[in-house]
Amino acid sequence: MRSHRLFALGVAAAAALFSTTADGQWLNYPTPGTPRLPDGKPNLSAPAPRTSDGKPDLTGVWRGAGPLYRFNIAQDLEPGDVQPWAEELFLKRLHDFRKDSPLSHCLPVSVPFHNFFNMTRIVQTPALTLVLYESPNSPHRTVFTDGRELPKDPNPTWLGYSIGRWEGDTLVVTTTGFNDSGWLDSAGHPQTESLRLTERIRRRDFGHLDFDMTIDDPKVFTKPFTIKTTRLLAPDTDLLEDVCENESDRAHMTGDSGVRVSPALLATYAGVYELGPGRQVAFTVVSDMLWVRGLNEPKLPLLAKSDTQFMSTANPLGYEFVKDAQGNVTQVIVRGGANGTQKGVRTAASPRR
Amino acid sequence: MSADLRAILKRTVLTLGFAALAAPIAGQWVNHPTRGLPRTADGKPDLSAPTPRTRDGQVDLSGIWLSERDPKGTPSGIEGNVAPRYLINIMTDLKPDEVPFQPWAEALYKQRGANLFRDNPMIRCLPAGVPRLDAYPHPYKIIQTPELIVVLYEAQTIFRQIFVDGRALPKDPEPSWMGYSVGRWDGDVLVVETAGFNDQTWLDGSGHPHTEAMRVTERFRRVNVGRMEIEIVIDDPKAYTKPLKYTQPQVLLPDTELLEYICAENAKPVGPGPK
Repeated sequence: MRSHRLFALGVAAAAALFSTTADGQWLNYPTPGTPRLPDGKPNLSAPAPRTSDGKPDLTGVWRGAGPLYRFNIAQDLEPGDVQPWAEELFLKRLHDFRKDSPLSHCLPVSVPFHNFFNMTRIVQTPALTLVLYESPNSPHRTVFTDGRELPKDPNPTWLGYSIGRWEGDTLVVTTTGFNDSGWLDSAGHPQTESLRLTERIRRRDFGHLDFDMTIDDPKVFTKPFTIKTTRLLAPDTDLLEDVCENESDRAHMTGDSGVRVSPALLATYAGVYELGPGRQVAFTVVSDMLWVRGLNEPKLPLLAKSDTQFMSTANPLGYEFVKDAQGNVTQVIVRGGANGTQKGVRTAASPRR
Repeated sequence: MSADLRAILKRTVLTLGFAALAAPIAGQWVNHPTRGLPRTADGKPDLSAPTPRTRDGQVDLSGIWLSERDPKGTPSGIEGNVAPRYLINIMTDLKPDEVPFQPWAEALYKQRGANLFRDNPMIRCLPAGVPRLDAYPHPYKIIQTPELIVVLYEAQTIFRQIFVDGRALPKDPEPSWMGYSVGRWDGDVLVVETAGFNDQTWLDGSGHPHTEAMRVTERFRRVNVGRMEIEIVIDDPKAYTKPLKYTQPQVLLPDTELLEYICAENAKPVGPGPK
């Protein structure tokens, strides 16, 4: 029943670090106050509910904002949009198989990561709004809506200090006071103490949140950028407890395998491959690494397992390039995708960078 | 209580496992005036004012609370703080031979002591669980809404949900650290039933064990603005031949906020214990 969540946990190499309950309780308990269709199903397109003071009520259990940006928050950016030291650190973390990820130390990862990952319960009251994250490690945030200012010289924290104000029907949450230990995504883009996060949350109707995040960390990115997502209500269910108790597994994380493939060889793999009508996957070479994009997968650099085999943060089973008798790269085999193993045939198209 | 004092409390090396805890020293908003708190003429919080109520007339438990230090306690640890009465030993009111142990539970309890409490899950930054958090020396915040009461714990930045929407406890729940909690109002008292625990948590710092069969009943009674009592009944016939009962008073912390406290940040390897 919760296979989507187990899948989400299972795809990453870091999955071994998690222990999670296979099943929870109250997962089928009807949420009180949910408008229903004649067949009893939740009416997710009913109007957004309002509190007694007339504000939109964001209260509910909401699904994560999706895997795309969770794996690579910078995927819509160009390489030059990331400060050189940050890009270098990002690639180093990748080569190290993310062994120093906060996740592998049972630490909170970052607020953006938590927003993308798994369920969140929002509990709205007039003076504060709670954000309860299911995982990893079930932390909580408080957004103060009582008019207070952000603290001036806060002690840096993982989850920051959050205040909110209403702009019409949109709750605008500003958070500062982060530490520089968080990772903005599972691939390893860093955050610094200069990070200022703005979340704009609007309940479009009963079942949908327009959820935009603006990342402004000038030490990491040359300009602020905004990620627009939609979060779906998860009706008639509840959060699971997720306690990270496998920190001992960290010892099994090997770090950098040392396998590198020459840029010249990588260049022979670059191109667009067709898995089926309209289903393409593209490979490019940037910063001496092969990057993948397509198949609804995030744009991610690939780690070499051998001269022909590669893996990504999102797909550890990965990609294998195949040559024909003349030595030309003609196919890519994609393993571990939602559709099982697939073959992609090289096309004449050139990938956009 | 001042932020400094809280920081000191956190740094205090209480024996029985607290050596493993560490926490940030300073926080923010720790002097922010709590909204809606009744005040005396000089602006100080009026902690003896009558128990506040919600708009619908229910007692309101909302606020930042801390388990009261044992009035009969003696300072201990390097910095001489007084711990909440039931932090270290929930059986402290009983004579040793009065503890209604099942034999295996007594053997395990003694073994934990002999191992100098090195298996305390807290040392590995695992949740202290319910009901141990009711006697923990870290603040927690109650947010009460009509159908859901949320408890935000400063310790390990974990939360607990208490459903007050009339649902029953799950029948065969997946064992968990915090359990599954439902509450109902018995007049002015919130009665919270919790079940579905794993058997990993310790009931106190001295290592009293429990099983998955444990059922905890907490009765939250807010005496006035500044004070609350939690009567705790632990019913675990597989570990104890009769229910255990104690009352841990709680005091309101006005004009402050929770700090972030991520235990694993300072986790260090646990050294070998005596064999």
